[in-house]
Amino acid sequence: MKPIIQVKNFTKRYGDFIAVNDISFEVEEGSVFAFLGPNGAGKSTTINTLCTIFEKTKGALLIDGKDVSDQKSEVRAAIGVVFQDSTLDAKMTIEENLKMHSVFYNIPKREVEERIQFVLELVDLVNERKKMVSALSGGMKRRVEIARGLMHYPKVLFLDEPTTGLDPQTRAHIWEYIIKLQKERNITIFLTTHYMEEAEICDKVAIIDGGVIVAHDTPYALKKKYTKDTAYINTNNEAELENLLVKHQLNYKKKDGYYRVEAEDLSGLLEVLSNHKDNITNIEIKKGTFNDVFLEITGKKIREEA
Amino acid sequence: MSTVVALWKRGLKAFIRNKTGLIFSLIFPFFFVYVFGAIFKNDFIENPIAYMLSGVIITTVFESALNLASSTVDDMVSGFMKEVLVSPAKRIYVALGQLLSAATVATLQGILILVVGLFIGIEFHDITTPIYVLVSMIFIGIVFSGVGLFMATKVRNGQTFQIIKTAVTMPLTFLSGAYVPLSLLPGTLKFVAYFNPMTYATAFFRMIILEKTNLSTAELIKEGLVVDINGFIITPFMTFVVILIIGVAFLLLSTISFVKTDFSKLNRSAMDGNAIWS
Repeated sequence: MKPIIQVKNFTKRYGDFIAVNDISFEVEEGSVFAFLGPNGAGKSTTINTLCTIFEKTKGALLIDGKDVSDQKSEVRAAIGVVFQDSTLDAKMTIEENLKMHSVFYNIPKREVEERIQFVLELVDLVNERKKMVSALSGGMKRRVEIARGLMHYPKVLFLDEPTTGLDPQTRAHIWEYIIKLQKERNITIFLTTHYMEEAEICDKVAIIDGGVIVAHDTPYALKKKYTKDTAYINTNNEAELENLLVKHQLNYKKKDGYYRVEAEDLSGLLEVLSNHKDNITNIEIKKGTFNDVFLEITGKKIREEA
Repeated sequence: MSTVVALWKRGLKAFIRNKTGLIFSLIFPFFFVYVFGAIFKNDFIENPIAYMLSGVIITTVFESALNLASSTVDDMVSGFMKEVLVSPAKRIYVALGQLLSAATVATLQGILILVVGLFIGIEFHDITTPIYVLVSMIFIGIVFSGVGLFMATKVRNGQTFQIIKTAVTMPLTFLSGAYVPLSLLPGTLKFVAYFNPMTYATAFFRMIILEKTNLSTAELIKEGLVVDINGFIITPFMTFVVILIIGVAFLLLSTISFVKTDFSKLNRSAMDGNAIWS
């Protein structure tokens, strides 16, 4: 797979403050890439620089082989951006917003109608086409923005927290569109989110903290590396269970009548426990979540500066 | 180029859709004509309604051009300008589109008042007068769109901007001779009025709409249609040049400033003023 986004030694300074410190990463074409990080970690700086809004201090940022500083127009034509806050023209209809976009992006006049139909079908808003944006719900607005971001057939779609503030149904729908896009149109999706279960369904995840990339891998690999499965066991023969765990060098903690055992190898643990199965009164197994990964990597302290 | 046209159309649509705004933009001028026409009825003006109306029309054009162009701030706050920013559209075309749509809508408002005015006191005897009137309105519209857009690009705070805008437009309006004849102003205010570009615009426009272009300078002074600074007469031609210079200066300034403005620093999530533009 060839990389569509290439970031090499990117640094951004604001006076003495280093927002992003010499980061490098690549995003493969046609993948869904999640860029995560606590507030104030350098996430927005990076995404805004990639979208040609901010100027870099040092390094090279390329989208589809074009430099975001020197070939702004080319990069802008190649990307679609959906910002966290609405950037729609509320006083106009959905259709008018899309038409305005097609002017800004030099979409040939004869193709505009077809594209409007296509993007509105994609986000299920064909019937709302003549509605004023100010009359739409938050979820619908977000869908219009996604539709608009696709009007010029971008190679990369940037989504800055696309599901923040939306209800679970709308969130599920937005994700349906995102996955559909990636599969059917081979569009690369670069997104940020604070919902870790969303990061988990992406192809690749990068976590930025304190201006540096602290993790970059598939969600599966990160989970494997940073989380452990945990078993909570109740037994009516505590002495035997303790002996068994010690014998197999499994660390445990006893609390409120249950044993908490962390296991890197869950099947191994289950095999050990099978020797004890007659005495087990209750067992609960918790798989590591991506939330654990995030907290493990970035720490649990609340960022004061954010 | 199509960017300019699209933004121009957008401004017109917004104007047509805003029915309440449309009605009030018509009510207020006539309210002023009525009130000030009654207060400053004096004998040396042969047609007080037409005299007041001419001032009101040009003031309306000036105020709405400035307001509309500076409403670019609203487009920044609403986020619409951010969408423009990440698009390949050239900024200079965006600036031109905003300027032209503001100037057009302002002129339309002026025309609306003028049309009503034709029934209550304004009379054109010369076929060329409407053309000159229209050209003057467009001219004033463009000049003050430039001023408005320039102000918009310098905004640091969306909320105080409203206050600043009022603080700019109020004295420009009331110290222009449009409502209150300059001769009635106390010395200090009169002095201030000489620095007001609207003073010259009003005098110039009034002369055209009242069809007094053929009058001698002495007669124009008598009727208050030219500016007389302690005996130094600003002739209509000089007036035109003054406005032209101001217009060109602000058009250039606003366009340059718009192209250079760093929209990225806009922070809409923060309600605190300084964060909106910093």
